[in-house]
Amino acid sequence: MTGQGVVVQGVQRRFGEVEAVRGIDLTAHSGEVTALVGPNGAGKTTLLLVLATLLVPDAGEVRVAGFDPVTQADEVRARMGWAPDVFGLYDNLTCREYLAFCGAAMKLPKPRAKERAAELLIQARLADQADVPVHTLSRGQKQRLGLTRALVHQPEVLLLDEPASGLDPRSRVELRTLLRRLADDGTAVVVSSHLLGDLEELADRVVFVDRGQTVGEHRLDQLPTGSEPRPWRLRALDTDALLAALTRRGCDHDAPSLAGIEVRLTGDDAAAALLAGLVRDGVPVVSCQPLGGQLEAAYLELTR
Amino acid sequence: MTRQGIATVAQQEFRIRIRAGRWRWLLAAWFAVLLLVTVLLKLSVDQVDAGDATNKGVVVYGGLTLLVLGLALLVVPTLAAQSVNGDRERGTLATLQVTRLSAGDIAVGKLAAAWGTSLVFLALTLPLVAYCMVLGGVPFGRVVVVSLVLALLLGTVASLALCLSALLARTTTSGVLAYLTVFALTLGTLISFGLGTALTQESYTATSSCPTAAELEQQGVPAQDRPSILAGCTSSTFTATRSRTDRVWWLLAPNPFVVLADAAPQLPTETVAQARARTAQEARGIHRTNLRDADPLGVLGRSVRGLRTPPSEGGGLVSVVTGSSHRPVWPWGLGFDVVLGGAALWLTARRLRTPTRDLPRGQRVA
Ligand SMILES: Nc1ncnc2c1ncn2[C@@H]1O[C@H](COP(=O)(O)OP(=O)(O)OP(=O)(O)O)[C@@H](O)[C@H]1O
Ligand SMILES: [Mg+2]
Repeated sequence: MTGQGVVVQGVQRRFGEVEAVRGIDLTAHSGEVTALVGPNGAGKTTLLLVLATLLVPDAGEVRVAGFDPVTQADEVRARMGWAPDVFGLYDNLTCREYLAFCGAAMKLPKPRAKERAAELLIQARLADQADVPVHTLSRGQKQRLGLTRALVHQPEVLLLDEPASGLDPRSRVELRTLLRRLADDGTAVVVSSHLLGDLEELADRVVFVDRGQTVGEHRLDQLPTGSEPRPWRLRALDTDALLAALTRRGCDHDAPSLAGIEVRLTGDDAAAALLAGLVRDGVPVVSCQPLGGQLEAAYLELTR
Repeated sequence: MTRQGIATVAQQEFRIRIRAGRWRWLLAAWFAVLLLVTVLLKLSVDQVDAGDATNKGVVVYGGLTLLVLGLALLVVPTLAAQSVNGDRERGTLATLQVTRLSAGDIAVGKLAAAWGTSLVFLALTLPLVAYCMVLGGVPFGRVVVVSLVLALLLGTVASLALCLSALLARTTTSGVLAYLTVFALTLGTLISFGLGTALTQESYTATSSCPTAAELEQQGVPAQDRPSILAGCTSSTFTATRSRTDRVWWLLAPNPFVVLADAAPQLPTETVAQARARTAQEARGIHRTNLRDADPLGVLGRSVRGLRTPPSEGGGLVSVVTGSSHRPVWPWGLGFDVVLGGAALWLTARRLRTPTRDLPRGQRVA
């Protein structure tokens, strides 16, 4: 743990009539990946713009790497990397030149900027494209280059707005690995995304926002299990025995399919109890898994 | 704002401009047009029976310079008018603003790139200027001053166009407005001066006085004619109207053409002896055009100085040729233009400053 991460308290920001952010609280610790999730228009991008020293909030306290993005913008910029959701690249510039320019803009000494560009191109699997003009890159490659740009100065706070959109499955896995590694090295990573499955594997903490407000802030292993029944899928070597046992217990279940039998359970405790009971009954259960993931369930519950 | 930061931005802008490719054609067309005009001017000067063949360059240089200014005023807006909002549209501005480059670095760097490009255009005219100097009559000092003033004027226009691109969201709007600004500086000043002059009409009463015998002698009137002239003259009082351009000359001062022409150092005027010799020749029916009198920069400069001079000192349009001793107009005009350009640059930097409090309606940051 080196840096001070991000602390946001009661941030508000309006655009004319629209109240884009009405009160967001968020804490992102160094060494952790903090996910920012919420429906379209919830104010995620707006919040990230405030953190990235581009927008002045109307109210609230913000600290990025220990500095105030409004009054100490340069200090924040030296320690923060930001990859926007949509961004452009200069035409007629190669990837290597682009990254070298970003390094110069970050006031890295020239040789260091060059060295860093070469390093990052390998990391982003763009080494083969290092000397082609950026506008010929594919969308996913551009996305990777945009993320790479934010890493030029080895920031201690990394703000990513939907970094995985447009990436192929391998790149998404690599992105996860990269972000995990950066976090393990002490970076505070804030990532907004709609890909809950990815986040579930990557994030340490998750902040739910809805209509401009924080509606939940949880460690990923302490997600609210909720009061609503959720679907689980059970599979056994003997499907008939499983079906009989479920019927006997009065469990709300669907007709069996090739994948197994879906049941609706309320909370993890109920699932554990059911599984224990089935095993006691001698049903050869091979798997019992929640459908759609916990994060998705929590998301659906918190953001209505 | 640091030198390094400005250089980073300017280099980047330059590189992208150069690679865009169109500039070759633009530069080639620019040089071709100016070459053609230089040749045509030279040919037309050759047609004139000039008593003093060593002054041919004066006319060619003057014509060329005014044309360079006119064409540059058309080219420069395109170099800067989409610089900031173009970046915003492409989505490259916000990522630049979150770097450690300050708003001043970005504004000055962009201006340096646009201005520098316009100076490349100017540099391309230097061979033609050298040719004018070979033709004769163009002092080196005049070339230096004219080039400096030209460079400053182009910088002003570039800065104004850049400012519009920072203020307006759409590139098309800022492009059009940049040209409107150029028109305001050129035609606009002329029109407002014309209207202003119309408002200064006044009637005045003057007395025409008779020449004295001594004055007649000085003018070379033969002795036997003098008594009859003196006898036939009666002094009279008359009323007439006149325009007091000396009250509105400043409306014309920011005009780039006026600034440039007036700032060009005047060529040394004819000595009394030369003038006498010429009058004598003309009396014998030998008519020679003095190319210095046809110097476009000089004529324009002298006329605006004449406009600034109050009637009591012999001002007004009448005194065009004799106006060389009148007070200059260009320091005011150039000063105004440069201050305007500086203010535009300051405003550009202000608009680029982040974090932003007020966003123009409907404009997203990124
Ligand atoms: N510059 C702006 N002017 C006016 N309204 C804006 C502006 N920027 C954002 N908004 C509004 O603020 C709200 C929040 O927008 P924001 O982009 O922060 O949402 P988001 O959470 O990032 O959504 P998404 O998941 O779709 O990216 C939206 O209703 C949007 O219309
Ligand atoms: Mg968004």
